[in-house]
Amino acid sequence: MGTENDLTVRDRFQALLGRDDAHLWLFGIGAVVLAVLPFALSTFWTRIALGALMWIGLAQSWNMIGGYAGYLDFGHGAYFGVGAFVTGIVMVELELPFVAGLLIAGVFCAVLAYVVGVPTLRLSGAYFAIATWAFAEAIKELALILEITGGTYGMTFPTGPGTSGIPLVGWPDEMFFYYLMMVLTLGTIALAYFLFEHSEFGFRVKAIRDHEDAAQSLGIDATKIKRRVYVISCVIAALFGGANAYYITFIHPNDVLAPIITDQMIIMALLGGLGTIGGPIIGGVLIFLLNRLSSLFLGNTTIYLPLIGLLIMVTVLFAPSGVIGILRGEVGREDVKQNLRELAEKFDIL
Amino acid sequence: MVSTELLSQSIINGLLLGGIYVTVGVGFALVFGVLEIIDFAVGEYVMLGAFTGAIVAPMVGGEGLLVVPLAFVAFFLVGVVIQPFIHHVTTGDRPMPLLMGLVFTFGLATFMRGSILTIFGPNTRNVPTNALSGGIEIGGLGTFPEVRVVTAVVGVLSLVAFMYYLYRTTGGTAIRAIAEDRDIARLMGVNINRYQSIAYGVYAGLTATGGVFIGLIYSAGPGMGLQYTAFAFFMIVLAGLGYLPGIIISGIVLGLAQSLTAVYLGGELVFFVLFGMIYVLLLVRPEGLLGKGEVA
Repeated sequence: MGTENDLTVRDRFQALLGRDDAHLWLFGIGAVVLAVLPFALSTFWTRIALGALMWIGLAQSWNMIGGYAGYLDFGHGAYFGVGAFVTGIVMVELELPFVAGLLIAGVFCAVLAYVVGVPTLRLSGAYFAIATWAFAEAIKELALILEITGGTYGMTFPTGPGTSGIPLVGWPDEMFFYYLMMVLTLGTIALAYFLFEHSEFGFRVKAIRDHEDAAQSLGIDATKIKRRVYVISCVIAALFGGANAYYITFIHPNDVLAPIITDQMIIMALLGGLGTIGGPIIGGVLIFLLNRLSSLFLGNTTIYLPLIGLLIMVTVLFAPSGVIGILRGEVGREDVKQNLRELAEKFDIL
Repeated sequence: MVSTELLSQSIINGLLLGGIYVTVGVGFALVFGVLEIIDFAVGEYVMLGAFTGAIVAPMVGGEGLLVVPLAFVAFFLVGVVIQPFIHHVTTGDRPMPLLMGLVFTFGLATFMRGSILTIFGPNTRNVPTNALSGGIEIGGLGTFPEVRVVTAVVGVLSLVAFMYYLYRTTGGTAIRAIAEDRDIARLMGVNINRYQSIAYGVYAGLTATGGVFIGLIYSAGPGMGLQYTAFAFFMIVLAGLGYLPGIIISGIVLGLAQSLTAVYLGGELVFFVLFGMIYVLLLVRPEGLLGKGEVA
């Protein structure tokens, strides 16, 4: 019964995606559903939904540089944390509203990503991965030392009416943050779609991922394009960082700059499918629910770590194109069997 | 204390520490040469080694030193089994194979750290030892804990054994041939699967052994791995990626830097300086300070 049923679902899915305006329809329907969703949910589930939205956006931002451009950024979480701290510093030290803080954080991280990107993007492969990883760890250590970030004490955000800087918003509640994250996430998805799936720019980026030298020999300015993708993806991470910080009202370098932030972005994009629009959406929802539900039902927050590690390994081994790859029929039962056979051959060590 | 004595004390302490870092670094550099991937799990092997020490030592009469050979054999076997997975991920027709390998070891590291954290909890444990509780007086320069001296001696000995295997035996030659060119080595009749597994097994064994000693000197905790991953990265970036002999120098530099910054600058700056140096070194001299590594 399984195969036939699977095929019909898959066929329908493909037929749906085959239409020219399918993506627009999906996006529109998704936006409307998301807009009315909080009215149907309790406060608890609204919080879960807004968390899932944030992680979809973050995974998509990582997917831009990691999935579309093929540059494994192991320090993407640094911008999430820097965005959080800049927003906080603007709100606490300059006493400006949240909107101003978020904008300044975006601009600051754009400049930072540009300055960091120029030398770092000259590296490739493992070198780029280690460099970004070390950069993020250095930023975390710096935030622990500096006074303006609160050092090891962390930073508390101003809350209450008037702090948001958005007219008609009183005390910022779940509804406010839900719609904030919704706008940011839908904006990120739309941006990713138009940049990478619907423009010449996207073809250039993918050409660089597939063969950088060949792309360059065809006249593509790889340095410039990579830098643009890097800056855009980092600014998005920073915006989410700022929004999340205002939502949780207290931030600490060991939380918002923790390596697990980057880990999650990577596994979400990978599990869903690297270099696709749908991948980070699927991966983001699945992993975020796994995270929430494992702490909710198992009452144990650390079991999530080995689960995620295992999931990364299994995905890389058997479904490198992720859930999207399975839906598109790129990874079937035969491929997994083939994979297992080839893996078994490599155990021939005697 | 006279300040020259403090200086000589910290220099010797640094040299002793460097000995054990070198054993972690050489295996790591070898694996980069053979499998062409950076193993994000390197620090987790140190952590697992230290934990093996803390768990097993009480069962063998509270003597951590007895765990050392056991840890090497156990993690050699673990490495032999894990290598085919990494090899499989980095070859074949999957997209971005090397990056997939990187992500795979990243997942492996998360899995190891998370498992230990879940099973044993976040507390640090001591690796007990009775044999090495005293101190050794070294020629008027000060007294040093026996455990550190023995650690350094074992570190140097295992390095010598490792180098002997790599440069004086058929197996070692095969491993070096794979590191130079996997396809040509295969054409010359080298069993790629076997020698890659041995190389990864030796690396895992050496690193875990280093972990037992690090546990003896400090302690064992589930979160300690990240630090040693950073150390390993630092060593190979300083030596130049893929350049084995450079590791000896960079391991000693690391030991000295750690002991001197801790004494003269204060602990909170150590990691900022370390990570900052990895980042800057990669940008400025990706071929390593000695200029003999591979360039991306």
